[in-house]
Amino acid sequence: MNATLAAVLAVLGLTLVKATPLIYAALGGVLSERSGVVNIGLEGILIAGAFTSVVVSGATGSPLLGAFAGILAGMLLAAILAFVSTRLAVDQIVAGTGLNIAALAAAAFGLVLVYHQPGASHEVPAFGRTGETVLIVLAFVAAAALHLVLTRTPWGLRVRACGEDPSAAESAGIDALKTRFWAVVVGGAICSLGGVYLSLAELDLYSDGMTAGRGFIALAAVIFGRWTPLGATGAALFFGFFAALQYSLQRAGVPSELMQALPYLAALVALAGFAGRVRAPAADGVPYVRQ
Amino acid sequence: MRSSRTVRDLIVVLVLVFGVGSIAMLLAHVSPVVGFGALFDGAFGTRSELAETLVQTTSLLFPALGIAVAFRAGLFNIGAEGQLILGGFAAGWLGAQFPLPGYFAVPMVLLGGALAGGAWGAIPGFLRARFGANEVIATLMLNVVAVLLTTYLVTGPLQQGGAGASETAALPKAAQLPDLISDSRLTWAFIIALVLAFALRWLLQRTVFGYELRAAGEAPEAAKRAGIDLGRTALLAMAMSGAIAGLGGATVVTGVLHRFNTGLSPGYGFIAIAVALVGNLDPLWIIVAAFAFGVLQSGGIAMQAEAGVPREVVSLITGLVIIALAGRRVVASRRST
Repeated sequence: MNATLAAVLAVLGLTLVKATPLIYAALGGVLSERSGVVNIGLEGILIAGAFTSVVVSGATGSPLLGAFAGILAGMLLAAILAFVSTRLAVDQIVAGTGLNIAALAAAAFGLVLVYHQPGASHEVPAFGRTGETVLIVLAFVAAAALHLVLTRTPWGLRVRACGEDPSAAESAGIDALKTRFWAVVVGGAICSLGGVYLSLAELDLYSDGMTAGRGFIALAAVIFGRWTPLGATGAALFFGFFAALQYSLQRAGVPSELMQALPYLAALVALAGFAGRVRAPAADGVPYVRQ
Repeated sequence: MRSSRTVRDLIVVLVLVFGVGSIAMLLAHVSPVVGFGALFDGAFGTRSELAETLVQTTSLLFPALGIAVAFRAGLFNIGAEGQLILGGFAAGWLGAQFPLPGYFAVPMVLLGGALAGGAWGAIPGFLRARFGANEVIATLMLNVVAVLLTTYLVTGPLQQGGAGASETAALPKAAQLPDLISDSRLTWAFIIALVLAFALRWLLQRTVFGYELRAAGEAPEAAKRAGIDLGRTALLAMAMSGAIAGLGGATVVTGVLHRFNTGLSPGYGFIAIAVALVGNLDPLWIIVAAFAFGVLQSGGIAMQAEAGVPREVVSLITGLVIIALAGRRVVASRRST
C-alpha cells in the first residue's frame, strides 16, 4: 500500500516537472493568440530562454541573473516576430517557422563560440531544489494571473478585442498593432521562463535539442485548452502526466512513440472538432493592415 | 511585377547570406574570404563536390515544389518534412520487402513513396475540407507524428534491420536509382526533379486544375462563386503537395542512402520552405533557389571542416531568409477557418 502511494506520488511529482515548461510556453502562446498572432515560434523562444540563461549564469555565477537574461532573450525573439507580424503584416506562420530554425541554429553556433564545443554547454550554477519548486508554483500563479488579466482588466479586454476583430477594436480607439505587439512580447517573456526552467532548474546546462519540440506540444495545449489560460494549463498537465507515465507504461509494453505522439493526436482531434466546439479567436493569424 | 519582386527578394537573400555569414565567420575568428572560399570550393571545387551539391539540390527541390503547390492553393503546408519522411519510409520498406525484378522495382519504390507522402498530406487536407481544421497546425503536428510513427514501425512491427536497428534492410540493386555520374551519389532523381518542375509549371499555368488551384489561393470568395469546390481543391492540393514531398523522400532512399533510416532528413522539408519562398512559388525559379540552397548545404560541410566555421551558420541564414520573405505572397485566403 505504501509502495503504491509512493509510486503514485512519484508520478504526480514527475507530472509537475514535465508540465511546468509546457505551462509557461502554452501561456505565452495563449496571450499571443488571443491578440490575434499565432506564435509558431514558441519552440525558438524556449531555446532562446534556455541557452541565454545558461550562458549568463555561467558568466556571472548567478542563476537569477541568468533567468533575467533568458527572459530578455525570449522577449527579444518574440519582439522580432511581433514586429514583422504587426508592422510588416507578414505571414505569421512562415515567420515563426523561420524563427525556430534560426534560434536552434544560433544556439548551436553560440555553443561553439562560448564553450568551444558542439552539442552541450558546461555545467553552470543552477537553481537547485528550492528554486525549482518556486518556478513550478510560479507557473500556476502565472496561469491564474493571466486568466484574471484577460478576463478582468482593460488591457485584457483590448487584447481579446484585437484577436476577434482588430478593425472594430481600432474604431473603438484601441491601437491594434501596439496591443498585438506587446501581447506577443509579454507572451515571449512568459514562454521563455519555460526555457529557463529546463536549463537551470530541471538541469544545469544547455544541450542541442533539449527543448525537444515542447514548443509544439505547448501549441497543441493551447488548442486543446481552447485558447484559455486555465484550459491550456490543464492540457499541459494532461500532457505532462502522460510524459511522466511514459516510463512505467513503456515497461508495461506500450510503445513510447505512441505516448509521445499523444499530445499531437489530441490536438488534431481537438482541431477537427471531435472534442466539442473549439473556436480560435476570429482574427487569430490574420495580419491586420490599417486602411 | 512578379519578376521585379523576385529580383528584390534575391537582393535581400544575398545580403542575408553574405552579411550574416560574414558576421558569423568574424565571430568565429575566421576571415569571411577564407570562410566563403571554403564554402564555394566545397560546393564546386571538384567534379564529385559539384555532384554532391546537385544531390542536395535534388533533395530540396522535391519538397520545395510540393510546398509551392500547396502555398499557391492558399494552403500553408509546413508538413513537407513529415510527408518526406513517410515517403522515404514507404520506399525503403517496400523496396527491401518485395524484391521485384529490374524495371519494376524502382517505379514501385518511387510510387510507394509518393502514395505514402500523398496520404500523409491528404489527412490535413481532409480535416480542412471536412471539418474546417486549420491545416497549418495540423501539418505541424503531423510532422512530429511522422517521425514517431516511422521510428515505431522501423523498430517494431515492420522491423527489417534486426533488433534495435533504426533503419530498414538495404535495398537490392534493382530498387536503387541508377547513377547519373559515376562515383557520386547523383542519380536520375535529379532529372526526375527537373522534369517535375517543368510539368508543375505547365500544370499550374496551363490546365483547368491549375487555374482552379490558383484561384482558390488568390481569391477564394470569387473562386467559390465561380463554382470551384474549395474543399475538393484543398484536399487535392494537399495530397499532391504531400505526394511530391513523399517522392522526394523516396529518391533520398533509393538514390542516396539505399535504405530508410530515421535520420533520413536533415530538415529538408523546412529548408524547402525557404527554397519555395525564394523561388517565389514558381516551379522554374524554385530550381534556381534549390541550387542556391544546395550550394549552402554541401558547401557548409566543407566550410566547417576546412575553415572551422560551424555549419549551423547555414541553418541560421536559412531561418533568417524565411523570416525576411514571410511577407511575400501573403495569400488572400489566409484563414477561412
